[in-house]
Amino acid sequence: MKTGDFGYQLTTVDKALEWARSNSLWPLTMGLACCAIEMMATQGSNLDIARFGSEIFRNSPRQADLMIVAGTTTKRMAPRVRRIYEEMPYPKYVIAMGVCVIQGGPYVDGYSVVLGVDKVIPVDVYVPGCPPSPQALTNGILLLQKKIRNETDR
Amino acid sequence: MEIIEESQDKFGRKIYKIKKEDLLEFMRQKKNEGYYLSAITGVDMRSYIEVVYHIYNYDKNEYLEIKVDTEDSHVPSLTKLWKAADWDEREQYDLMGVIFDGHENLRRILLPDEWVGHPLRKDYDLKKVQYVSMDKEGNEHVSFDPNEGW
Repeated sequence: MKTGDFGYQLTTVDKALEWARSNSLWPLTMGLACCAIEMMATQGSNLDIARFGSEIFRNSPRQADLMIVAGTTTKRMAPRVRRIYEEMPYPKYVIAMGVCVIQGGPYVDGYSVVLGVDKVIPVDVYVPGCPPSPQALTNGILLLQKKIRNETDR
Repeated sequence: MEIIEESQDKFGRKIYKIKKEDLLEFMRQKKNEGYYLSAITGVDMRSYIEVVYHIYNYDKNEYLEIKVDTEDSHVPSLTKLWKAADWDEREQYDLMGVIFDGHENLRRILLPDEWVGHPLRKDYDLKKVQYVSMDKEGNEHVSFDPNEGW
C-alpha cells in the first residue's frame, strides 16, 4: 500500500467522529448567575436544545462535553470553575454566555469579578448579551457544532 | 434608655435612632414584644458608620428600623438574642468592617479570609486589585500580583 492511500480513510473516520461529537454535545450545568435562567429556558420544552443533540444537562463534569459558563464569574468562583473544567474529559468545549463572562460587563469597575472567563479557561464561542436570549445561546451552540466539524461560518 | 430621633420613611415605617450603649436592652425589649430580625445593613458616613437593623413583627405586620452610630466601628452583637444575626453580622464585618463585640465567630463570610480591606468602605481603594487563587488542598490565597490568581 502506498503512503497516502490510508490518509483518505483517516479523514473519513475523522469526519464521522467530528459529526458524532458535534451532534451529541452534553452541556454541564454551570449556571453562576442570572444567565442560568436563560440557559434553563434554552433547555426547556419551548426552545429545546435536544433538537440539536444537546440532549440533557449533566450535573457531573465527568459526563459532560460542553461547559456553558452562564453568569458572573467572581474571583472566588474562578478557581472552582478551573477545577471543574479540568475534571471534564477530552474533548471539551466552553461557551462563554453573557457579557459578564466575556469581559466583566456592568461589574467591570467592581472588586470581586474576573474580567473575562477566558483568563481562567479557554473559550470556544462567545455569546454576548445581558442576558443573551435563548435563541442566541442556541445559535452559539450551532456555531460551536460548525467549529467542531471544521466548517467555515461564511 | 432614650430615643435620640424618631422619624418615618415614605412607607410609614418608624425609624428610631438610639445610642449604641442602649442597643442590646432596646432590642431585648423589642424581641419580647414579638419582633424578629430581618436584616442588618451598614452605611459609611466617612466620619462614622451607621448600622441599620430592620426588625419585623408578624402579628402587627410592622417593620421597624433601628439606627446606631458608631465612630470606632464597634457595636454590641445581637447573636445572643437572635441566631439570625450571626451571618448578617459576619457580612457587615466582611464588607463594611463593623466589629460586633460578643460575636463568637466573627470571620469573613463572602470574601476569602486573606482579603485586605473592607470593600464597601468609602476609603477602600478600588485601584489596588486583589486576585484569588486556590492550592491543591482547597485553601484560598489572595495576592496583589495578577500572575498569582484570577
